[in-house]
Amino acid sequence: MEEPRYYDIRHVSGVSTHIDVENGRIDSAGSSFYDVALLRVLGKKGWGLVIIENFSGKTKKDIEGFIREAMRYASVTEEEVILGDAPSGLLDVPKTENNPADVSLEEKCDLLRAIESSARIDGIVSTRAGYVEGSSTVYFTDSCGNEYSYPVCRSGYGINAIAGRNGNMQAARESERTIAGLNMYHKEHKGLEAAERALKLLDATPAKGGIMNAVLDQELAGVFAHEAVGHASEGDLVKEGVSVLKGCIGEKIGDSALSVTDDPTLHEFGFMPLDAEGVKPKKTAIIKNGVLNSYIHNRQTLALIGDGDAGHARAEGGAVPQVRMSNTFIENGDSTYDEIVAECRNGVLLKGSRGGQVDPGRGVFQFNAEYGYVIENGELAGMIRDVSLSGDILKTMHNIVLCGNDLRLNQGYCGKGGQSVPVTDGSPHVLLRDAVVGGQGV
Amino acid sequence: MSEFDSDSIIDDIIRKGQKIADEVEVAYESGKSIHATLKGREIGEAGVSDSWVFCIRIIDGGKIGCSTTNDPTRWEKCLDAAKAGSKFAAGQDWEGLPGPSATNGTPESVFDEKLVLDSSLISGYIEDLLNGASEYSVDVAGGGASASASSYKLANSAGLIYEGSRTRIGVSLETISGTSTGYESDIVCFADRINPYDVGKQAAYLAAHSVGAGEIDTGTYDVVLSPIAASQLIGGIVVPALSGKNVKAGRSYFADKLGEQCLDESFTLRDDPFHGQGSWVRDAEGVPTRVLDLIKDGVVNEFSYDLKTAYRYGEKSTGSAVRSGDSPSIGFHNLYFEGERQDIFDEKVLYVHDVIGAHTANGITGDFSVETSNSTWREGGEDTDAVRAAMLSGNVFEMLKSIAGVSKEPRELGNVIMPSVRFNNLRVVGK
Repeated sequence: MEEPRYYDIRHVSGVSTHIDVENGRIDSAGSSFYDVALLRVLGKKGWGLVIIENFSGKTKKDIEGFIREAMRYASVTEEEVILGDAPSGLLDVPKTENNPADVSLEEKCDLLRAIESSARIDGIVSTRAGYVEGSSTVYFTDSCGNEYSYPVCRSGYGINAIAGRNGNMQAARESERTIAGLNMYHKEHKGLEAAERALKLLDATPAKGGIMNAVLDQELAGVFAHEAVGHASEGDLVKEGVSVLKGCIGEKIGDSALSVTDDPTLHEFGFMPLDAEGVKPKKTAIIKNGVLNSYIHNRQTLALIGDGDAGHARAEGGAVPQVRMSNTFIENGDSTYDEIVAECRNGVLLKGSRGGQVDPGRGVFQFNAEYGYVIENGELAGMIRDVSLSGDILKTMHNIVLCGNDLRLNQGYCGKGGQSVPVTDGSPHVLLRDAVVGGQGV
Repeated sequence: MSEFDSDSIIDDIIRKGQKIADEVEVAYESGKSIHATLKGREIGEAGVSDSWVFCIRIIDGGKIGCSTTNDPTRWEKCLDAAKAGSKFAAGQDWEGLPGPSATNGTPESVFDEKLVLDSSLISGYIEDLLNGASEYSVDVAGGGASASASSYKLANSAGLIYEGSRTRIGVSLETISGTSTGYESDIVCFADRINPYDVGKQAAYLAAHSVGAGEIDTGTYDVVLSPIAASQLIGGIVVPALSGKNVKAGRSYFADKLGEQCLDESFTLRDDPFHGQGSWVRDAEGVPTRVLDLIKDGVVNEFSYDLKTAYRYGEKSTGSAVRSGDSPSIGFHNLYFEGERQDIFDEKVLYVHDVIGAHTANGITGDFSVETSNSTWREGGEDTDAVRAAMLSGNVFEMLKSIAGVSKEPRELGNVIMPSVRFNNLRVVGK
């Protein structure tokens, strides 16, 4: 049997805990256990893969059998895979205060209930709060002799409030996720904030669609950094020809005010002490002052494409590593929020995010704000709802003409290729000229 | 395949579970899947997976606890975790898990006995995909093929044992020409029903046709949503609003509309558990499934319930529990969208093949704004000029009050069976 050119194993095991509270009662709470590994081999051409359930306790002989099986699948591959050199290594994992694993399920239930109950004010017809915790040990080894192991606990809560009046219903949400320990202490105000905003949305008017100036808040501009810039800079999409940023390294692709960074070393929700290929992660400046500076890569796309850094491979437990973002954000500029709103003159302020999606090959993005305000003569006017933003990635990057000095980060999850990984994105307030704003108001 | 005796473990779980709780239920799923992934026009990776999971649910004094594990040696820890979770869950009226009983129909087979999970099977599908794509001058960006066989067993302390098997085959291809992209996919249960060549050809056509696409002025237009676009918007917003859990929790548009004619009188939405890829004779809790006429001729006819929601609110389970690896929740089996079938392409329309951002719609109100993909003017049944970019805005519930017709032939998108749907006077924002 032919020997693999290379192999690695990434094993993830741990406990997941969830609590769901709905309209004042705990709907469910409990823990589950997972233990799964992905073994990859590099055959004559490409990758052969075996997903192994319940990997703990597998012997050397078992692993040799898995390698043989993976090699059989590698034999049908055609793509010549070359791995680029990238330094292997593990970053320090920050110590956590209030480790969620040390806090009883009963206490977590009480904390979540307190957040949920604070949202049940007059006018609120439905509330739902959830807590999710994943406490994992990640083990990595490869045929080059590298071997690493690290623990990580990601946890967080979310609270949804729905307001209702005369058949009109509006929803608002607050959430926070972290790697720094249990974050539900003294957070009752978050439930109240969601509830009060849902009530305000009952009186908001539908946004009027069209092309206009727009101020994006830190959360929505962060979604733009992630969806429109980050995905288009992923080395696998560039390699496969489905990114509008292909071949643009060194080109001025945006206004000089715009700089975008992906930094997996930040101790935020997207922190990676080690990437899914055993590479030591590093900060990557994707756009510097409007010029495309780097792509983000795994070892394979680094070897093929160049112009960037490996260390951006990520994977769920038992899943294939993909080139993914970690903590992605627009760097601070020097404008104040008041200056940006004044410079907008007439347009909209878009706040919060209900998510977004991008077609990086076509260079088109779409995402929804949670709500917003009309801007008239440089000042905020009435509240609007159900307002969205779409556009061409390249055109939009030239149209971001002012960046604020108030960078803020938000946590979430990013879906790609059927896998979901924790990420952070963020931005200061930005001014976007000639934005394509969607809404059904007239 | 698994190296343990799952039947023996299930028996042990039920025996021990009955000592610590009123009732216990075990769902065991196992399967093998193989896949190959295209990187450009070449297979870059291929692999295999054997998987299994035990999902344990206990009910004790009306309190429900769940836990899962893929480690067969940890079932006792899993059972303890289910018990621990139940202590914190709110108690409710509980009238028991279902025992053996008559069922309501005979479901279509979803298991292909002839399917052999071998790497040559999926590499053959890949070759067919690429041959189909060669019909047009485009580049292949990626895609893949997969095949799987899985089995499930549901057992509970009321004496129910329900088991079965299913097979799945899926193919997909993504193409690009300049900055025009095209994507097509298909998923079936039987090998003789998959046609990778046509999937590849359609993916290539979509990218090729969109090359040189023109602009559209902001305004109102007659629009046809393809089955893909319609399923994203309608399936993603209307179906959750018919879940009994959302209705009773006060977060459904339909909550106070049972029995009301509030959608187009030609519109029917039915969950048929006996015909389609999602066929089941019992649901994920063992309750016999039945046909649900959720919306009938525009009238909100019934909501879907699982056992927990039904017992809590004094309703009856509709056999609508589904499971995606953990505890059961309300879902559907095979969702059929029906309307007045006619030739909806007689007059000029904007045909929208796909949308991006449907998941960002307001699920409570039904308001949405999405970007269209591969949209084109269509006249006399033929695609004419492609449209480069357009944002579509509206309210799904308002749109469904006035459907201008649905296509004669629906398309099977997994377990959603959806026609193309015509709407007149939708708001479109051009660039």
